[in-house]
Amino acid sequence: MKNTPFKRMIMVGLAVLALGATASANPEIVGDWQLDMDRSSALDGWQDMRLVISTQDTRVDIRHEMRWRATRYRATNTVDTTKSVASDNFFRVEQRHMAVYPTKGGVTHTTAEWIDNNRTLRTETHTPVEISQGDVIMRITSEYRIGEGGKTLTVIELHSSRSRPLVYFFRKVEEEVSS
Amino acid sequence: MNLSKQIIALTAICVITLGSSAFAAKGRDAWVMNFDGDWNVAGGLPEKAMLVSLQGLTNRDAPQFYIVHPPDFQWEITEPLYDFYKRKHDVKFTEVKTADEAFSLFKKHAKGYVVWDKTVGASLNVAFTIAGLQDAVVVSEELIPLVKKYGLKQIDDLRGRYTGKTDAEIYQDSYDRYWDQCIRDAVMVMGGHRGRTMQPAMADWGIQRKMYFHDLSANPIHPEELSQIKRLYEQMEPGSFVFGWHPYGKDTEEQSTTLLSAYGFKMEGLHNLPNLSFNSQFFFTEGFKFTNNHGVDRHAKIEAEEKVYISFVQSDSIGIGVWTKPGRGKLPFGWQVTMNWSKFSPAALEYFHESATPNDYFIGGLSGPGYMYPNHIPAERFPLLMGEAKEMMSLLDEHVMEIMDNSAADGNVGNTDLTKETVDRYYENFPDVIGFINGYGPARTRDLRDTRPMISYDYYIDPKRPRDGVTDDLNELISLNAKRPYFLLVHVRESNDVNSLVEVTKNLNGPVEIVPVDKFLKLAASNKTYTTRYQDPDEPKHFEGY
Repeated sequence: MKNTPFKRMIMVGLAVLALGATASANPEIVGDWQLDMDRSSALDGWQDMRLVISTQDTRVDIRHEMRWRATRYRATNTVDTTKSVASDNFFRVEQRHMAVYPTKGGVTHTTAEWIDNNRTLRTETHTPVEISQGDVIMRITSEYRIGEGGKTLTVIELHSSRSRPLVYFFRKVEEEVSS
Repeated sequence: MNLSKQIIALTAICVITLGSSAFAAKGRDAWVMNFDGDWNVAGGLPEKAMLVSLQGLTNRDAPQFYIVHPPDFQWEITEPLYDFYKRKHDVKFTEVKTADEAFSLFKKHAKGYVVWDKTVGASLNVAFTIAGLQDAVVVSEELIPLVKKYGLKQIDDLRGRYTGKTDAEIYQDSYDRYWDQCIRDAVMVMGGHRGRTMQPAMADWGIQRKMYFHDLSANPIHPEELSQIKRLYEQMEPGSFVFGWHPYGKDTEEQSTTLLSAYGFKMEGLHNLPNLSFNSQFFFTEGFKFTNNHGVDRHAKIEAEEKVYISFVQSDSIGIGVWTKPGRGKLPFGWQVTMNWSKFSPAALEYFHESATPNDYFIGGLSGPGYMYPNHIPAERFPLLMGEAKEMMSLLDEHVMEIMDNSAADGNVGNTDLTKETVDRYYENFPDVIGFINGYGPARTRDLRDTRPMISYDYYIDPKRPRDGVTDDLNELISLNAKRPYFLLVHVRESNDVNSLVEVTKNLNGPVEIVPVDKFLKLAASNKTYTTRYQDPDEPKHFEGY
């Protein structure tokens, strides 16, 4: 096999792409993000949501802090931009007034990548859900778009079973400065 | 027949006729008062509490005093029902404009007054108990001159008696003093709104019947109060009624209903359900018979097509919510009837039936002869209770039973499923129904035995959810449940309006047909595309029970 200039260009291009895909997380995504209820798609069965996002190299941990009446619930989804992550307790910001439940014992697979010059974390999840007719797979494509200046985060969640995405707007929670 | 026998026969006929006409209470004079919406302790509550207590005493002898609430009151039917009494029972109402006027008319029904302490909310419930037992009206201190003006004597004064005491201490004292004299087949949980606002509109009924009033907590974090409720329940008769509603902020609906269900008792609420002392003394008008708008014969066999079948049901009792709002009749709708109103409020049930459109279909519930959680009903009580339910369903011409068990749920989300044992009991005790529906929020208990399906709600319409969100949610369910036919049962929360749902149904995907719930169940029996499922013991329970 000849190593022609064209092939070298291809190899370099692929390497650049691979580097982009495996790049470490954009640090601006790290922090506490409070849902802006007025601008966002209506939550259903939850009354408040906060995301607490942390990173380690290519791994991103997305902790959901949910509130419903007096109930507080926390759940963390982990993604990695270098590999698919399997989880048996994937959390979906589900519409809780729909009979769509996580399948008992089901395993969810999620892949992730940084796109748009590392401004957006895109994830693709295949999660088994239980419905009245049995178990099916729901595909969820999510984008975590970091706003200019890193003060806002827009999460767009599109289900394979839903024509319009759910859009959640968050504002970064500034660290409290003690006086 | 000789003369003496003829006289006896005529006398008997007269007695029967007079008796039945008195029961029907047709053609009589009565008085009506219009309440405003001010239930603040610092505002309109004291006078309303006094008038409601007077109403309970006045209506002991005969239905004489009726109260109309404003249209935005939770029970929206007081005005339509007032019109119904005039129209169908020939009741000639005279308006009572002031409390003064009410006492000038009805003072003879009260032997005295009891003073409650506005700084101690629970003292009002103690005062209500005393009112029932000693024929008293309840007053706060500023109203004493009014009742004195009409010659009423002080029977008791609770001011200061309970200052600084806990609710458990207050009700222990009330129990020691009064419980022995109260009836044992019913109790009044006068809870609901607490603090600056209280709405004890159901107190007339408890006073009329000499019930024990309380707002004790069924929450295990209040062990002293919980043990007092258990002590009351242990002394009550089998199959008793628990009227009123749980106290907001102290315990939850789930806890309160779980507890009373465990004793095989029946809940009838809410705390602000007005006029039962009046309504309970009317019967159905002569010749009236309940005829439901059946979409399908009980024994019919029909086949589902390759499409999506949707059925809408409103529970929460039809006296509140959608019924009086515009749009009813535009879609087939199932309405869960508070079946015990056949005993306590027959005219209200007749009013609903009279004003039903062809698209309105009545179903039995909730879970039995009252609001109860069947997973907790003692096995030995179940057949007796369901026997009562079947009798009322037969009277009301109902072929579908609605079940709800929120004992493990968290409000309208979470675990609302039935155990297999519970499902078995329903199938055993209701051989003649078309089928069962289950849930409040969504649930996943499903079954099909012979021709009787049990289908749970796949969707709950939160009235606050934007309608495009509701449309997308329903379309998502239709997309995920890809087999056809798909049976999509929808629970419509009380304060939704039908017009908005009409718009939602215009934007649903696929071949969709909206059908009445009886037809829905018949179709669901013809092609079981849903799984069989019961409550999974491993699934989380928000409240673990007692």
